[in-house]
Amino acid sequence: MILVTGGIASGKRTYVRSLGYAESQMSSHVASEAPVLVGLEELLREGEPTEADLRALMSKDVVVCCEVGQGVVPMEGQERVWRERVGRTCTALAQDATRVVRMVCGIPVVIKEER
Amino acid sequence: MRVLVTGGSASGKSAYAEQLACSLSPRRVYLATMSPHGAEAQERIRRHRSQRADLGFKTIEKSGSSLAPIGGEDADTRRGVVLLEDLGNLVANTLFDKGDMTDDPTLVAGRLEQEVLDLARSFEHVVVVGNEVGCEGASAFAGTRMWVHALGELSCRLATNFDMVVEVSAGVACVVKGGIA
Repeated sequence: MILVTGGIASGKRTYVRSLGYAESQMSSHVASEAPVLVGLEELLREGEPTEADLRALMSKDVVVCCEVGQGVVPMEGQERVWRERVGRTCTALAQDATRVVRMVCGIPVVIKEER
Repeated sequence: MRVLVTGGSASGKSAYAEQLACSLSPRRVYLATMSPHGAEAQERIRRHRSQRADLGFKTIEKSGSSLAPIGGEDADTRRGVVLLEDLGNLVANTLFDKGDMTDDPTLVAGRLEQEVLDLARSFEHVVVVGNEVGCEGASAFAGTRMWVHALGELSCRLATNFDMVVEVSAGVACVVKGGIA
């Protein structure tokens, strides 16, 4: 699984397209058959991912998640729980990912590559 | 040489960009985009002015929504380097000061991309300071979301066109594209 992270409008989907995936192969539902899962951060608003969710995510070709933890710690408790959950989930996924890419100004910076 | 320097607030990107500009040419123009409204802006402008006081920059204030007209400089100046600081202000000036609000960040990014590329063509070297602002949850404010998207897209477009892209964190520069030849 390739994990793609980076800020808002940093070029994450453009990078996924450059890997050969069409928009029609991207879905924001874990249960979908699509090989690419986009918008993981929004899915995590629902609650903690289960073991089954994590397995489903690991079985994707690509998972795209917006990096959300670099700004100011939010005033609202719920937002703090959410960004923490996004960070922890990405950390867990990155551990088993074959490649982790962080987008900077549209440029893929490979921060992990398993050989 | 066309370089985009990005990074978060107070990451040291300005100081890095200034040093880089100095290494590129002895003929230096500083294009300032910040609107001088309010005490914080004044203080920031003062700090940046003193930071580059001895670096030999000719400062041009350009807090309006457009970079044009610039390029009326003499041929000698144009063989030098222009340092544009920064994209966040440039986008904000366009969106908010001029009231040029639109629902389409792509439109704004596209227009500003052309302006910056025009500027880049007017000088031998250009160093543009950008801002990393998209790495947190989407803002509750529509205007801010619009600004973040337009700024992100403008940064991607310039990075595609430019020779070198550098991200600065804690004063440490990490080259993410190209390098100094």
